[in-house]
Amino acid sequence: MTEELNFQLKHDKCKRAVLLFHGMTGSPFEMKKIGRAFYNAGFDAYCYCLPGHGTSPVSIKEVKWEDWYNDSEKHYLELREKYEEVFLGGLCMGAVLALCISMEHPEVKGILGLSTTLYLDGWTIPWYNFMMPVALHTILRYYYSFPEREPYGLKNEVLRKKIAALQKKNTVALDNYPMSCIYELLKMSRHARRNMSKVHSPVLLIHSTQDDLTSSKSADFVYKHISSEIKEYIKLENSYHLIVMDNEREFVFEKCIEFMNRFSDFYMPKDAEVAV
Amino acid sequence: MIEFLKNLSSYPVPLLLIIVTNILLIAGFCIGKAVLLKNENAIKFFAVFSVLMTFLFAAYFIGIIWFFVYSIAAGSSFYGIMFLIFLFLPFVIGYFSTYKKIQLYSDIQILTLLISLIAALSLI
Repeated sequence: MTEELNFQLKHDKCKRAVLLFHGMTGSPFEMKKIGRAFYNAGFDAYCYCLPGHGTSPVSIKEVKWEDWYNDSEKHYLELREKYEEVFLGGLCMGAVLALCISMEHPEVKGILGLSTTLYLDGWTIPWYNFMMPVALHTILRYYYSFPEREPYGLKNEVLRKKIAALQKKNTVALDNYPMSCIYELLKMSRHARRNMSKVHSPVLLIHSTQDDLTSSKSADFVYKHISSEIKEYIKLENSYHLIVMDNEREFVFEKCIEFMNRFSDFYMPKDAEVAV
Repeated sequence: MIEFLKNLSSYPVPLLLIIVTNILLIAGFCIGKAVLLKNENAIKFFAVFSVLMTFLFAAYFIGIIWFFVYSIAAGSSFYGIMFLIFLFLPFVIGYFSTYKKIQLYSDIQILTLLISLIAALSLI
């Protein structure tokens, strides 16, 4: 099932690629629109299902964050062999993964951090969240799952209904966040926070001020602690967590493409193509 | 048992808290093992159950810390220190546990809770 969810959008002899990472309990489905936008802008776009995702709800409880990292790094190294330029982009946990990979691979051409999730402190996190460490660090983490609920990371109500229906089928994303998965995400986040200064590639951060899962504290932290000389931070006002699907998605795509084109040696503006 | 209930008010409150939370936690883990882990789709039930268990665990930890302070104040710190071991055990078990062996680790957790219950009851 996971292979069906993966996508590879390729041109002939393209020299630049974007490797996208989906979010926690999500799937490449949520990155399809942005992948298509990048493809149309002249990039080859790839997104693979992370280990434990896209199969049974049980399998996600059996993976460690190192599995996500190793699998993503393997895909990155494959692309690096094939392309002159490789950009990394991720949503939520995927953004943390992209940052973690760039810590070890400073040759990464650029990073797109979309709704970067270092802390789970959004406004839909339950009031009893302060008790989370007790559940996280005992065997209760294998018993507990946060049920996914309104607004499903979407401010756009029409889309929200569609996604809610899809999630109930567990076909494109899980309808719950297993606590063991959150435990692994927070471990990866801790690793990322400790090593944030190792990020030297250009970084574009896009985060909504109304993010329901993670407040802009996460993006603020990244912006403050990375060593990149080129770093940009855009705050959205009319989206929740899933910014690649929500109200401002077109703006997000446009800014990402603009950012990547700026650092790409193989960018050919449309006017130039006509002139040639 | 009747004697125990009659003298309830004379026992230290933290010790009673440890006993009550211990019994509820053991019952909770038994239910978790028997019912919940076999029904992976009962997400909402799982959520409510786990939140209750988390609060029980928190109350259990508070009981142990309270008893530790109480026993030091009463001049018998040995029992307080002995119970501190039970404070850390759930975290040690949690650290080593994996989903594949959740049944085994649940059994180990229940066993440690049973030992702590017996230890608490022996002090009454």
